[in-house]
Amino acid sequence: MTFETWDGDDESAAGRFVPLYVLVNGRTAPRDSTLDLATQVVALPVDTRGLEPEYVEIVRRCANWISVAEIGAYLHLPLAITKVMVDVLIEQGYLGAGTPAQRNIVDLHLLDSVLAGLERL
Amino acid sequence: MDRTSVKIVVAGGFGTGKTTLVASVSEIPPLTTEEILTEASIGVDDTTGVEGKTTTTVALDFGRITISPDVVLYLFGTPGQDRFWFMWDELAQGAVGAIVLVDTRRLESSFAAVDYFERRGIPFVTAVNRFFGECAYTDDEIRSALELDSRVPLVWCDARDRDSSKLALITLVRHAMARLRVRAGSVPVAP
Repeated sequence: MTFETWDGDDESAAGRFVPLYVLVNGRTAPRDSTLDLATQVVALPVDTRGLEPEYVEIVRRCANWISVAEIGAYLHLPLAITKVMVDVLIEQGYLGAGTPAQRNIVDLHLLDSVLAGLERL
Repeated sequence: MDRTSVKIVVAGGFGTGKTTLVASVSEIPPLTTEEILTEASIGVDDTTGVEGKTTTTVALDFGRITISPDVVLYLFGTPGQDRFWFMWDELAQGAVGAIVLVDTRRLESSFAAVDYFERRGIPFVTAVNRFFGECAYTDDEIRSALELDSRVPLVWCDARDRDSSKLALITLVRHAMARLRVRAGSVPVAP
């Protein structure tokens, strides 16, 4: 088994010193399982002093609605980590979440507006 | 205050033009997000020669189209390698449906995608990418090679062309809506 050995590389994949699992308290999955890559979030008017810098960076990115996937892409964070961090921020009231894709697939009215939007492109 | 996300998956074998299609219709240049695989994949991934390597990165390209002030459509390309199925599950969950891109020179590279969406009952359309030049096959030949259900739409497209990619997306949304109506019983099921 190799998974408990440390390869001496602190700046591994994401190139940072604090391991990402520390930032997320060892959480491996978001509490809210409907939070997916496409779910959009937005910063709520809350004071972010006291948050870890990595979290503040996420909140800053969310001045306008933005998806979990976009946050991960802009901040170069792996998706699983992005999801957990976003989830922590939602839970603590720093971010508000939009309606996830899962709830929409059976909504003909919504699909109708998607169709109209595509036709306008 | 609400904001709704809608997802469409763009699938197909390696090099079939997934990112090209996303780029041609997205309002932003396609973004790449990454998932890091750890030891769990060892035994699945061939790690011969890289035994010390404990992580693999799976890249995911995606784009976005703002439909209205409160609805945004995200287009996610599947990872190039078919073996990253766990990513497909995440992408497909809650998606309106999928576009399966087909390269007629390598039809077999899209088998896995067709099979994936068929088995899960996720609406999909096949889009034959003309990008690769003249195609010697007819619709019927492609359908039979891919063992496509007759109800699955097949469109020809040029993934580099915005209108062409747009048409593939429109065909998919119409197909998904038609299936929903059938399921809801508002339309008699076609024989």
